[in-house]
Amino acid sequence: MRLEQVTKTYHMGEVEVKALRETSLDVFPGEILVILGPSGSGKSTLLNIMGGMDLPTSGEMFFLEENLSRAGDKRLTAYRRNEIGFVFQFYNLIPDLTARENIELAADLVDQPIPVQDVLGAVGLADRADHFPAQMSGGEQQRVSIARAAVKNPRLLLCDEPTGALDYQTGKLILALLVKFNQEQGSTVIIVTHNTPIGEMAHRVVRMRDGAIADIRENTAPLPPERIEW
Amino acid sequence: MSALNNKLWRTIGKTKGQFLAVVAVVAIGIAVYISMTTAYYNLNASKEKFYRDHNFADYYFQVVKAPQEIIKQVETVPGVAKAAGRIQKDVALINDYNKRATARLTGYTLPMAYEINSVQLLSGRFFNDQTAAGQSGQYAHTGNIEILTDPQYAKGNNLKYGNTVTIVADGRAMPLTVVGTATGPEFVYLMKDAGTLLPDPQTFGVFMLAQKDAQQILNMPGEINQVLISFVPGADVNRVVGQVEAILKPYGNLGGYAGKDQLSNAMLNSELSGLKTSSQFMPVIFLGIAAAIQFVILGRMVRAQRTQIGVMKAIGYRSWQIIWHYTGYAVLVAVCGSAVGTLLGLALATVMSQVYALYFNLPTLIGAVNTAVILYGLILSITISTLAGLLACRSVLAINPAESMRSEPPQGGGKTIFEGWAWLWRRLDSAWKMSIRSVYRNKGRFAVTMFGVVFAVGMLVVSLFTIDAVNYMTESQFQQNERYDYLIRFAAPVQKNELFNIDRIKGVQKAEPLLEIPVQLTFNGRNNDDLVTGMNPGTTLKRLFDADGRGLQVPEKGLLISQKTAQKLGVTVGDMVAVETKLALGPVRQSTLKVMGINQQLVGGGCFVSLAQANLLLRDSQLVSGVMLKVEPAYANRLETQLDEMTAVSSILSRQKEIDNFAQTMGATIYSVSVLVFFALLLGFAIIYNASVISFSERQRELASLRVLGFSIRDLSGMLFKETILQSLLGVALGLPLGYWMAKGYIKSASTDLFTLPVIIYPTTYLFAALGGFAFILTAHFLAVKGIKRLQLVEVLKNKD
Repeated sequence: MRLEQVTKTYHMGEVEVKALRETSLDVFPGEILVILGPSGSGKSTLLNIMGGMDLPTSGEMFFLEENLSRAGDKRLTAYRRNEIGFVFQFYNLIPDLTARENIELAADLVDQPIPVQDVLGAVGLADRADHFPAQMSGGEQQRVSIARAAVKNPRLLLCDEPTGALDYQTGKLILALLVKFNQEQGSTVIIVTHNTPIGEMAHRVVRMRDGAIADIRENTAPLPPERIEW
Repeated sequence: MSALNNKLWRTIGKTKGQFLAVVAVVAIGIAVYISMTTAYYNLNASKEKFYRDHNFADYYFQVVKAPQEIIKQVETVPGVAKAAGRIQKDVALINDYNKRATARLTGYTLPMAYEINSVQLLSGRFFNDQTAAGQSGQYAHTGNIEILTDPQYAKGNNLKYGNTVTIVADGRAMPLTVVGTATGPEFVYLMKDAGTLLPDPQTFGVFMLAQKDAQQILNMPGEINQVLISFVPGADVNRVVGQVEAILKPYGNLGGYAGKDQLSNAMLNSELSGLKTSSQFMPVIFLGIAAAIQFVILGRMVRAQRTQIGVMKAIGYRSWQIIWHYTGYAVLVAVCGSAVGTLLGLALATVMSQVYALYFNLPTLIGAVNTAVILYGLILSITISTLAGLLACRSVLAINPAESMRSEPPQGGGKTIFEGWAWLWRRLDSAWKMSIRSVYRNKGRFAVTMFGVVFAVGMLVVSLFTIDAVNYMTESQFQQNERYDYLIRFAAPVQKNELFNIDRIKGVQKAEPLLEIPVQLTFNGRNNDDLVTGMNPGTTLKRLFDADGRGLQVPEKGLLISQKTAQKLGVTVGDMVAVETKLALGPVRQSTLKVMGINQQLVGGGCFVSLAQANLLLRDSQLVSGVMLKVEPAYANRLETQLDEMTAVSSILSRQKEIDNFAQTMGATIYSVSVLVFFALLLGFAIIYNASVISFSERQRELASLRVLGFSIRDLSGMLFKETILQSLLGVALGLPLGYWMAKGYIKSASTDLFTLPVIIYPTTYLFAALGGFAFILTAHFLAVKGIKRLQLVEVLKNKD
């Protein structure tokens, strides 16, 4: 994936907010990319554009050489459906569906999903499959959320503050899961966070400030999440 | 899409109260549609089949008497497909228990396979028509004349095979033997004449017998007094009728009427058209309101699940998949509602068919389950629900997955118009302010709810109005207009001084004569068959009123014309109308009378002149054809017996019996009114319940916050109630006048030539409708917000959704 001079401008009432200014970024297959930055630095906007949930105001976005920056809703939906897995800060599970059904919800969308039972096992929730979100802890819910993203076997796993609402230990567990999917399925994992130490686990770390990329640092020896401290 | 389906089921499970409420509304709509449409189709099919099988006549001509052979001449008129001549005449009838009644003798020639207006045997056997052949005179008195009666008369008078009934014809009492029951297409709904409100099978019956016997009894050998024809398809009806009339003129043509005006047929058709109107109009109201409720429910659901929708979109669901998911709720409502409604509708249709079987003499009452109707019902409800669903969920399209993850901005409060009125606004407490602002914020939902309440209350008014109308009709007909205890009619006009015999009967307090003359009124080339009643200007036992309810005096000269006739002829006060008498006896007389006033009657029509004027019409001076009596109640029975013995008397109309007969029919009315009232209450309940549930669940956080601040449950309950009350007061207030207009519209579509229901709504009806409205509002509201007691403060505040 390649972003070229991407700009995103929001209109909040009469105020114009530049959430993203002329940002260019390449994403390589199979890498773990961590985007760091304080709130308001434009990292979530960047993630949303990469995930096909939002379109840039100007600039181009290419995915496998296809320009998606002007794509219609239909194309973007197909893109999200087939290529992207999302993990949200607040899990955003469907409250009326059990863990298993939340995962099935996503599995129903693709032709060859990973078996739901396998994914449940992989996130360690095989015995909680029939619980509703309200009956699960935050960590469990986030694991369901990861399973829901992973079941489609997407090329890109986009995570918006995946540990933001979780305690320290649970957060590390979640990160370990993301690494596991990266290694076992070869998915590209992009994690957006304001938590700097998480950058230690990435192949590359992108720092953002005021809607632009401040620097990109390559990490020759990424640490496993278990060894990261914050 | 199994996961999405699971979500749908769970959503329904969570909102089962609301779901059931809408299902109930749809079910009622479908039940009404199916029952009425099925009843309509079945009744209509029964009628069509019966009319076709028995050659229902297209036109009837009445003559004084004409030779049988005239039919051959009528048949030669181009455009006439078939013609038949027969005898049909009303004669006095003496029941076993000595009550005077009327028999309509109708003659037939056997076998009657292809005859016009042939009859169908229902029980017993056909009368023997050979007895009279070749003989003359004597046999008629031996009592072996066989007849068939209509089934109602047989039932009403407990007649069995072989029983004898006695008629008075040509001044002689004559026994007839009943050998069975039969009915024909012109006897489906039996009423003596248009002036009678309802069928009274005890005192009016149709006697079918051999034509030759009828001729013998009435002393009309070889003669007929009625000609029936059917037209060739596409015939110029007016020309054919004109030509037939010309042929019949020498024999005292008394006028004619088309098959559509034939009393039984007109009554049947008016019932059918009423059914059809209601079957189209009622379900639309219910399904429309159900759609409105679903619109509100789904609209709210989409708003509440904004984030979930965003997630689904982020995962890769297409907008239409999500829209169909939510619309599926509406479709399920439609399917469940249709299923319940179909069963209910079929049950109701059976009940309706049974009621129709009581009133209408259709030998084969087709009880078909019309699958097409069921299918239409299903399609109708699914279509309406789907449209409501799609419309309500279209906002799904606008949801941007990225934005939906952020919390929704607080809904724009904005000032309400009330806040412009500072003096008022300052006086309101904060609960009222919140309620008013909340209503203002949800204008669409407020409108839908109010609209529903308006309709439910309007329907309550219309349902209850039926009772008012009938009460008013009874009141005005029996208390105001007709104040006599008995109306006696003579077989033929008699000299006035013969009334002394009746005057002398013990118990008669007052006797006022009248002279009724069938006439044809002509004005500006338009004409109308009518009945002119002559009575003395000071008559007290029958009173007349104009359209505004003011009393009218019978003028010495000129006539009072009924409003319906006036409309038909385009006559106004001061016009001169031509009057031609159509009495069976004596020559036709022509006069011209000035219209002195227009009178209105709820039942029947008729024009009125002074007794002297009526006599002038006949070029006579002392004739009367009937008398109205006021009697002392204690002597009533003895008086009836004495009157029964007078052979000159052809009918005795007892007001008390009419009132009783009427009251009996009221039973059926009250039954259908209570069904309607129940439907209206349920409708109102469903609407308020849904609105309250939605408003409650939307504001759980707000309410929980208020609880945390220290508001009591009672405070909150009062706050929610204020919002409901705002909608309800307006709804009820608008529903009452709407009810009036609906009643007016209904009457306009249901009124027949025969009678008009007045749009009279008593204040108590409005009161009851309003009370009914508040009853369903309060019940629904408190059921909906009963969860307020279980409000989990911490949980509600914590959960985002």
